[in-house]
Amino acid sequence: MAVDRRKIAVFGAAFVLRLLLTCLFPSLPDLLTGRVEVSTPVNSFKRLQEGLFLYTRNVSPYDGGVFHQAPLLLPLFALLPDAKSWPLPTAIFYFVVDLLNAHALVTISASGQSVKSRLHSAVRKHVRWDGVSVAAWFLFNPLTIATCLARSTSVFTTSGILFAISNAVGGNSINAMLALGFASYLSLYPALLFIPLVLLCYDRRSEGPNPPNVGSFIAQHAALLLASVAGLLGLSCLITGNFWEFISATYGFHLLVPDLTPNVGLWWYFFIEMFDSFREFFLGVFWLHLASYVGGLTTRFRRQPLFVITALLGVFAIFKPYPSISDASLFFALLPLYRHLFPLMRYTFFAGSAILYSSLLGPAFYHLWIYAGSGNANFFYAITLVWSLGLSILLADTVFAALRDEWEQEHPERVGTEVRQV
Amino acid sequence: MTTKTGEDSPQASASQLDQPSVKPPPPPESPAALQTRFRVITAFWAVIIFLGFPIWWKTTSIYRASLPIEEMVDWADGKACRPVFPLEIHLATPSMQSLEAQNLLRTTQHTLDDLNEFAAHHLRLKLTDGSTAAHNGEESAEGLKYLAEDTADTALTVRLLPQEGLAAPRSELHAATTQLDIFYPPNQVPVPSSSNSPLSAFIAAELQRLYSEEKATIAYILSGNTAGLDSTSPQLAEEIDRRLRRSMKYAETYHLSFSLFTPGSEPSSWDIEAAVNEYVSPLLQAFSPISNFTVDTQVQLYANFAPTAPKPEYDETEAAWTLKKEGLSAFVNAAEWPLNPSIGSGPTINFILYVPDPSQSPLIVKENRASSWIVPQWGGVFLLNPPLSHTDNQGGPSNPAHLSQDSLRPAFMTFSHQLLTLLGTPSTPASLPLRLQTSIRIRAASLLLSASSTMGSLARLTESLPSIPIPATVATSVATTLSHLSSSCAHLREGRFGAALASARVAETEAERSFFEKSMVGQVYFPDEHKVAVYLPLLGPIGVPLVVGLLKELKRIAARRKAKGAAS
Repeated sequence: MAVDRRKIAVFGAAFVLRLLLTCLFPSLPDLLTGRVEVSTPVNSFKRLQEGLFLYTRNVSPYDGGVFHQAPLLLPLFALLPDAKSWPLPTAIFYFVVDLLNAHALVTISASGQSVKSRLHSAVRKHVRWDGVSVAAWFLFNPLTIATCLARSTSVFTTSGILFAISNAVGGNSINAMLALGFASYLSLYPALLFIPLVLLCYDRRSEGPNPPNVGSFIAQHAALLLASVAGLLGLSCLITGNFWEFISATYGFHLLVPDLTPNVGLWWYFFIEMFDSFREFFLGVFWLHLASYVGGLTTRFRRQPLFVITALLGVFAIFKPYPSISDASLFFALLPLYRHLFPLMRYTFFAGSAILYSSLLGPAFYHLWIYAGSGNANFFYAITLVWSLGLSILLADTVFAALRDEWEQEHPERVGTEVRQV
Repeated sequence: MTTKTGEDSPQASASQLDQPSVKPPPPPESPAALQTRFRVITAFWAVIIFLGFPIWWKTTSIYRASLPIEEMVDWADGKACRPVFPLEIHLATPSMQSLEAQNLLRTTQHTLDDLNEFAAHHLRLKLTDGSTAAHNGEESAEGLKYLAEDTADTALTVRLLPQEGLAAPRSELHAATTQLDIFYPPNQVPVPSSSNSPLSAFIAAELQRLYSEEKATIAYILSGNTAGLDSTSPQLAEEIDRRLRRSMKYAETYHLSFSLFTPGSEPSSWDIEAAVNEYVSPLLQAFSPISNFTVDTQVQLYANFAPTAPKPEYDETEAAWTLKKEGLSAFVNAAEWPLNPSIGSGPTINFILYVPDPSQSPLIVKENRASSWIVPQWGGVFLLNPPLSHTDNQGGPSNPAHLSQDSLRPAFMTFSHQLLTLLGTPSTPASLPLRLQTSIRIRAASLLLSASSTMGSLARLTESLPSIPIPATVATSVATTLSHLSSSCAHLREGRFGAALASARVAETEAERSFFEKSMVGQVYFPDEHKVAVYLPLLGPIGVPLVVGLLKELKRIAARRKAKGAAS
């Protein structure tokens, strides 16, 4: 029961902290909503409000080209009281979603899939945190808190992904696919997680009696995912009426990246500078670059599908078209599951300081550029480069540590020896 | 594939267990690890080959719509169409016998053909009886449309009227219609047997004279000079050259801007709307087949001369303030007077009505006492000296506060004349409808040539720059241009000049649109070397590890195959 008490304490503290922040600094949510680091064109709460306004007045929410989010969010938010005059219900709704996400993390952690899966068992199994600590890492991460207070709709994508994982590690592959379908429906890119997730489900199923054929297992789950996405799209079609308008305003917007508002990612500056005639080509290159990690990582870490998902979430946080700090917070949420890899990581200090450095200087440089006018776009872009560099180092270090862990498992006699890059 | 790895790895770790005794510093990679690496490299390269290359091919290939190059060049070289201008002239002989009339027609046509030396432009006589001519005249509004569609436009109606007591025939051109009256002594009607007669010679000479300027102009446009025509006098050639230099370049839409400038505070209003409606609109209506017009007006008070402009001088003998002819070019204070160089698309024609300060009134041009002049390809200026009123008790005369429509009349008469000149209307013959018709023919000819030469330029451009894209819209525009060019040419051949001009206008617009297509020229100045700079910074860092990985893997496979070959 002690564990439960701890969990309640952590969750309660996280809730109270958020509530206090909202009540003591009433302008904080709106301030965060306007920050480019938190709100991108595809998850901004402001844009959601605009879409909601049009939707409640029976105008197509995509008229005006401001709103680019999934239409199913609209009836959901139409049920909540107006966020302008009654901000608290919406805020509390977001807090609850955050707590649910943390709960999903606890489930994932409790399954122990990160240290011991069907085909793999980490060398340092004993070095790990329990679920409540992992949830605390997530709940008290300033990036998570900022995302939650800014009421970014990425939170729902995060939920979709976390619930997909928690259902997959729990062996409930059907729910996992439904949750992944929900996440993909909201933001498109989670669909890339399908292969590692389905392998995770397969591994869990194979631990039981009479393992199914892998090919038909994947095919069934792909069909399930497609069906869930198709069902959500069908519902959206009922809501918006105009199918192609909604597809081009949401997924077309994700794929073609027409809005180059600055964000913490790498795409906006690159496409501002790109010659128009090469734009399409480099859109293809960037998307393929993002997608190409799926095959490579899945193949390399076939024995640890959960780690593939974690690493891919890190890749997405860096190379997505419209990344925000919420993507980084999701990556950071899954990292503590790999507490046993931390001793093997070599550049944590460097990565940590780069991330801290950029998260402190980023807002300052953005201010210099946009408000003070004494800087230019390169200031902010340089900072986003540092941010991405920090994340990349952390990701590469984690991947290296996981490789080393696998290697040590294969060569138990050489645990602890120095490595040399060849 | 994935299951296999899964099943392999326990074996791999099992096989590892009996190896540790060997213990070389870097333990050899297990076959499973090698296989995994091979698969990782395959996974990356599969994405590149099956997705990357198609995307690269699709997005960077240049779309070049196929253009009818040969046909375009033919148009530019004048092979596709030789513009001809057969003018149909009706001969109305109300008081002549049919046989006599036919004879007259034949002999006159014969004389005309003998006189004509420019084959592209020829006059075709046609006999009508007086009643139909009159009938046509009455219903011209509906008749013109009907005529334009299936029969040739009637360029001119010649009415032959007998008049007693004349020694020789004389002609009279109606200024407001396309009718030429020829009065002849009844005894000069040619007898059917004769092949020549003074009357037919007279008619032929009259017609020839009426159309000499038009003929010279068209010859000038078609060939670039008037050398082909021996009969063209040097003065006429000079005149045409000058007119073409002064007139505006053809545009689909002209913006007319009427401005009232005065250095003082008065006059501050003018009856401009009424004046434009009265004096300008009918002209614009008449020009509507050729171009569209918009009209803007403005009043600018306290408009001073430029500081560098020569000041008017008082001339005792004229009792007026005078401007020197050389100083007129500095009259318009382009720096300070708000004369918009362009309102929307299309050129602006500026008309300036300048009311001088009472202290400098009246103001005229010194050399010829003129009060107006044309600024070539820009517009016209009129100096209006209204009667001064002395009622002011502040001493000194003052300008009237308001300019009535009547007081604007001379100015606007001049402006309409200037407009005709600026639009390139020929100065002869005296009849305005005839001059408009001439204008239509001249414009049709020049647009036909201009659109054709644009087609030629486009064809050369696309052939000389194989790296530029040709969007489908350009191909569509070219097809439209060519079809309208040929229909315009056909209309010309049939003598339907209004329809020919309409087609030529469409052709010209489409030709310009296709030639100035924005997306076409984007990559003109983009040499292939620059592509390296575009591709390398990003693809280089990504590509090097991938390529090196692939090479290593291939080397290993080759070595193993060799080893296998040596073993067996």
